[in-house]
Amino acid sequence: MASGLVEKVSAFCRSPSRFLFGTSSEVFLAELLRELRDDRANYTVKVLLLSPLCEYPALLCPSDSVGEETALELMSIFTQSPPKFVQFRSQLLVALTCVLTCSSDVSGRLRAFPDFLDLLLQLAQDTSDLHGDAAPRSLRATACDCLREMEALYPGLLSQRLELLGGLRHQETSRLHQAYAGLQALVLRNAVYQLTQEKEAGAARLRALLGGNESVECEADQNAGPASGKDSAPLSSVILGPMGTVPTLHTGPDCKELRSALSSLLEESYLFTPLSQAALLYRLTEVVAMVPAIPPTIFRAQLLRLLGTSEVTLLHTTLLMKSAFTDSLFSSEDEAFLFKRLVVLSQHPLLSTPEKLFYMDCILHFPENRPISCGDSDEALPVLLTPRLASALLPVVFNDSATLLSRFNLLSLVYLEAGEEEDGRGLEYLYEHLTSLLRIVESGGRRENVVTFFRAAFLFLFHFHHVERYCDNLSQQLCQLYLQHTRFAPHLINLADRTQEKLPDSSWALGLLKALQRVISETPISQTTLPDLRWHLKVLTRAAEEGEISQHGTLRFLSGIIPPSSSSLSSSGDWRLGNGILGVCRRLLVHPSLESMFIPLADILQHVAGHYGDTDIRDHARLYYTLLTTLSREKLATVLAHHAEGGQQVKKRTLSCLMTEGEGLTSILTIHETEVAIIRLIEADCEQLEAEDLVQDEAERGEPVLETYRAQFSSAAFASQVTLKFLLTHTETRDARFDQLFSIRLHFSLTDDHYSELQDLSVPCLFRERPPPVVTLTLKPREPYPSSLHVSAIFTTQDGLTWHTTLPDIRVCFQQIFLPLPAPPSWGRAGRQAVFAGLWEEMSSETGECASSLFCCQLEEKALSALVEKHFLPFLVSDPSHKDEFRALLFLPPQSHVLLKISSEEDAVHFRLATDNWELLPHINDYLLKITAS
Amino acid sequence: MSLRALWIISHEKGEHASIRFSRRFATVELRAKRLSGSSYVAVPEDDCFLQLLLTELGLSGSKQAFVAQRDDCLYRPRSPALELHITAPVKGTLWPVLAISQAHLTLACLPLVDASPGQRPPLSSLLSESQGLSFLAGLQTFLLAPGSKQDGEGLVSRLALLPSVLLQKQPAWRTGLYRGRAVVNVSVVETVRSMQYGNRSRQDLWDVYGTVACKCEVEGVLPNVTVTLSLPPNGSPLQDILVHPCVTSLDSSVLTASSVEHWDGSAFSGPYKFPFSPPLEPFILCSYTSQVPVPPILGSYQLKEEESQLHVSVVLKLHESVKNSFEYCDAHLPFYNRDQMGVVEVKVSSGQLDVSKEKNLLVWALGQKFPKTREVTMEGKILFSGPEPGPSEPLCTGLTAYIKLYFKVPDTTLSGCSVDQHSVQVYSSAKPRIVTSRELHSKDYWIWNSTAFSLPHNHKHKSPP
Repeated sequence: MASGLVEKVSAFCRSPSRFLFGTSSEVFLAELLRELRDDRANYTVKVLLLSPLCEYPALLCPSDSVGEETALELMSIFTQSPPKFVQFRSQLLVALTCVLTCSSDVSGRLRAFPDFLDLLLQLAQDTSDLHGDAAPRSLRATACDCLREMEALYPGLLSQRLELLGGLRHQETSRLHQAYAGLQALVLRNAVYQLTQEKEAGAARLRALLGGNESVECEADQNAGPASGKDSAPLSSVILGPMGTVPTLHTGPDCKELRSALSSLLEESYLFTPLSQAALLYRLTEVVAMVPAIPPTIFRAQLLRLLGTSEVTLLHTTLLMKSAFTDSLFSSEDEAFLFKRLVVLSQHPLLSTPEKLFYMDCILHFPENRPISCGDSDEALPVLLTPRLASALLPVVFNDSATLLSRFNLLSLVYLEAGEEEDGRGLEYLYEHLTSLLRIVESGGRRENVVTFFRAAFLFLFHFHHVERYCDNLSQQLCQLYLQHTRFAPHLINLADRTQEKLPDSSWALGLLKALQRVISETPISQTTLPDLRWHLKVLTRAAEEGEISQHGTLRFLSGIIPPSSSSLSSSGDWRLGNGILGVCRRLLVHPSLESMFIPLADILQHVAGHYGDTDIRDHARLYYTLLTTLSREKLATVLAHHAEGGQQVKKRTLSCLMTEGEGLTSILTIHETEVAIIRLIEADCEQLEAEDLVQDEAERGEPVLETYRAQFSSAAFASQVTLKFLLTHTETRDARFDQLFSIRLHFSLTDDHYSELQDLSVPCLFRERPPPVVTLTLKPREPYPSSLHVSAIFTTQDGLTWHTTLPDIRVCFQQIFLPLPAPPSWGRAGRQAVFAGLWEEMSSETGECASSLFCCQLEEKALSALVEKHFLPFLVSDPSHKDEFRALLFLPPQSHVLLKISSEEDAVHFRLATDNWELLPHINDYLLKITAS
Repeated sequence: MSLRALWIISHEKGEHASIRFSRRFATVELRAKRLSGSSYVAVPEDDCFLQLLLTELGLSGSKQAFVAQRDDCLYRPRSPALELHITAPVKGTLWPVLAISQAHLTLACLPLVDASPGQRPPLSSLLSESQGLSFLAGLQTFLLAPGSKQDGEGLVSRLALLPSVLLQKQPAWRTGLYRGRAVVNVSVVETVRSMQYGNRSRQDLWDVYGTVACKCEVEGVLPNVTVTLSLPPNGSPLQDILVHPCVTSLDSSVLTASSVEHWDGSAFSGPYKFPFSPPLEPFILCSYTSQVPVPPILGSYQLKEEESQLHVSVVLKLHESVKNSFEYCDAHLPFYNRDQMGVVEVKVSSGQLDVSKEKNLLVWALGQKFPKTREVTMEGKILFSGPEPGPSEPLCTGLTAYIKLYFKVPDTTLSGCSVDQHSVQVYSSAKPRIVTSRELHSKDYWIWNSTAFSLPHNHKHKSPP
């Protein structure tokens, strides 16, 4: 049982959405809670069962009421769980925190909230473990963490407890003082922030908070009571406030209490782990930034230790202090030292690459004491970064890609700043470096080398596109590279696209494309292989998009590859190659200088139309030829532009259009995807299963009925299917294109493995104005559980296009799987009753998978009869006129039974249940809840 | 530190990737939702995340030459904070996903950005970024701790431990009390790297860095230990010193020397005192770099193509200041982009020469000592007439080739840095046993063929890809 649940938990955590297709969150939650309540269950497993509640509380408790109930349930489990299971109890606290904070949609709090808060505070103060073993200490630590999370979500929640928390930290000698300190610092920061938002709050209020003045506490307690529902949103970092302003609290010089609280926290800070230390220092930095009466020099004593650290997060904290306090904590000498330190760290041989990259980022955004610019622009270099200092960060070919690019970018900025455009050594170095990368790519570098080179090339162009001698040379080198490795065509096209996009004023991309076009057209055809040719055509297509590039070279090249005499390439009839050629031609048809290319282009098209080895290509070429020779320039442009647009959309989705690149005609060959659901399946009002007229029973049977009954199942197909009827209709979205649909093929896919695979179904047509066709779906359950099915359809519209669409999922409800008892037809009521009695007896023994249960509800007698009539009539085994006890038998294929004895007792209606599949209980419970509620 | 989610992913160069562990933190997620308002992007489910991350890291679809989403040349800083572009159920950008990789393991987390919504703040202004990095590094150390080789059982058992470890706080650095004989172990390990070109137009390079590792088994809740590093007279100062967070105080002069500026000769050169309160486990007390005037072994490598043969000539000189007593010293001469070696007629003046099984590598084992002259040579001819082509390497085309040196010298350091046994002070009742040691070893020690036309363009040295 538990192991099944553990698997469910891991399936849930892997993909909650997929998991919840097959079941409902209520059922799953109920299962979890039941197992958690079970005293006999293993506590290690129970810890695991809590993880869905910790990770997805909002999914499992989608409403306040469910959250409330779940929380109460968990609280009672906590109270009852033996203290020795510390890990379970700790995790339970975490789960409770998650449920109580996340299940409610609004920021209001649940009613169980104050009780839980009290529990946490009580646990946090429970120092009974001081002399005992250390295990309960971790429960205290978890309580602190939970309190911290709650304070973070509801700032000010614990403001009135500051003195208590300070005291707890002070007396704590175990490493737990770290948890208390973290909590105290957060509460302190939130409390000070709230005071800054209050008018006339000053030293007195601050002192009251820190000193825990009684009267203030009472008053505030009422204010902060959960009933008030007044919750503030979580705070973002105070130092990062909008427009760089920090809220301030004016206290006058007298804030001894705050100062001593801060000093005592700081003094102990070196005892914490780096992560906790960083968090603490940051919170305190925020506090000091908000209270001008406390001088930032309070941090001075910590600085040296922090500056020497090897821990990235501690040094970062120092940098954030620098950002908050600038010259009131760091002299210009300190600043220079810190900056140098950053340069050292960003290339230190003993640090990891991500850390070094992080430090590079810190260099680019160094918080200077006196920034020259206003600091708006993202990457204004700090003045301290001189070319000489930056030379420590020169990129080298042995760097990993991220480091290399990051350094390349940094150095480019430095040299740009230093005005190195003309004969600067630095710029020369960068260009040489780029060339070395190119050499590596040339001699067969890996994919990563290639990508890195093109990124570096883009960076270089981006920063130095105005330095012609390098950029021209780069173009040439790229052309050489291309001739050696034509497979880099997509990279080159990408580079051209990006430079054009980011540097609209530069003509570099145009120059590159022109140069590529030239080298391609000058290549002897005899030396060109088929893959080369494909890439050449790609590049030429891109070059043909540029109105400013003369296309005569391209035409020459095309005429060169077409005559079958010159090469066997085009006569081979390769469809992809043909499309490549047509792709170039298509672009040429809309090129501004079409007039001057008219004859050669017509010749090429005519030749392809007449001689190419592939019929499809010949047809297309003929079409283009006709368009070219019969349409005016303007019309041609409109026709093809239209096609191009349509093609663009389709291109994203279809393989065949990837080949033809924007060929409009292929839309006929393509399966289009509808944007919204066009059709859907709705449940048909199935005619009620009739209660059969039973043969008035013959005499007593001699044979054992159960055995006869069971013998039927020896045939695998026996009673194994459930038939559902649906109507296929249009959805509300009206789109005239889809009013008449033909040849609809419905495809069903399962969302779980409770059912066998389903066959596709065909529906000849669906017209909006005609009555909807009925679709009969035959399900073959493996396990009789509710489920959902994904449905998709392929159909044809009147204009001959083929479409694919997704229909809304259909849900297979629990009651849809019910069948009446599949008894032999010759049996009368007595035989059925005998089966019922036999099964009931077996199941009541609760052995194996069997289970029994009782469901009670309040119902008038009349209402009960109506309910039975409405929901159970086909399944009744007893005589419907016997109103004192109804007996119903629900058969669920392939071989499960649910037996019901329904009777009115004094206090309530009792549904006594027995089943041979205990896993059905939650479902049947849900079902009964539903039908008795309505 | 607040993380919204954490993932541990294992893969083999992008293939067979799977999420071995993932966790979401609901309360932090709620904060993220409230802080970012309308610009909130929810954490995607595991499958979707995995696919996006692999693409962003360039690990997916390795067979395709160009994938626009992965290979676009547009530069944006990707590491250490990645952007993931989510398309379903709602379009959005998940940022900043921190990811670190080592071998087959990639660790990723999504820290909370506690800034007001709107413009994206620079990475360097978010404390959660460096905290995330620290956290992932700690996790990596835990998962790949010594003894857990690669994908073996070690990793599995450590992954199984994770849920319970994550329940608790990260342990403060002294997690218990030590009882027993007090022992303090301090070892200085120096690493030397070098790039030698033997070419006037290109300067040879070398650098030295050291780490001081400690293991302190001493009693007490907060024991105090001081380790002092000292240099010989005229020793050049230790630079770029980084210290472990357990060091309680530092003298400002310790941090003054740095490798990024010129040393004016007046800098502080020790003794370097590090008072600290040690954790129970072994740790790196501090690390430094040093500038030494000469490389310990100076090499010259010359290759000449003679008809179908390659003429090889190598000279290695051990500097007189270096102790001539190696634990091992091997020179590797790989040959790329050629056929396998056929006939090898090469003589060495000292040591032993072997041809590797794959016939593309010469291994010259120099043993424990250089001869008295402190110079060894190799001379001879190689015919690449093997039946199969050897491995390829884009850096080493034509005559571009290198020798890589592997050596280790016990009981010495190049900087001269040492820890005197008597300088280690332990403030505790029992007098501890103190063990100190030092050693020097090589890493990335390259000697390039000086007759090649195109040497890899280089400034400082790093290991080749």
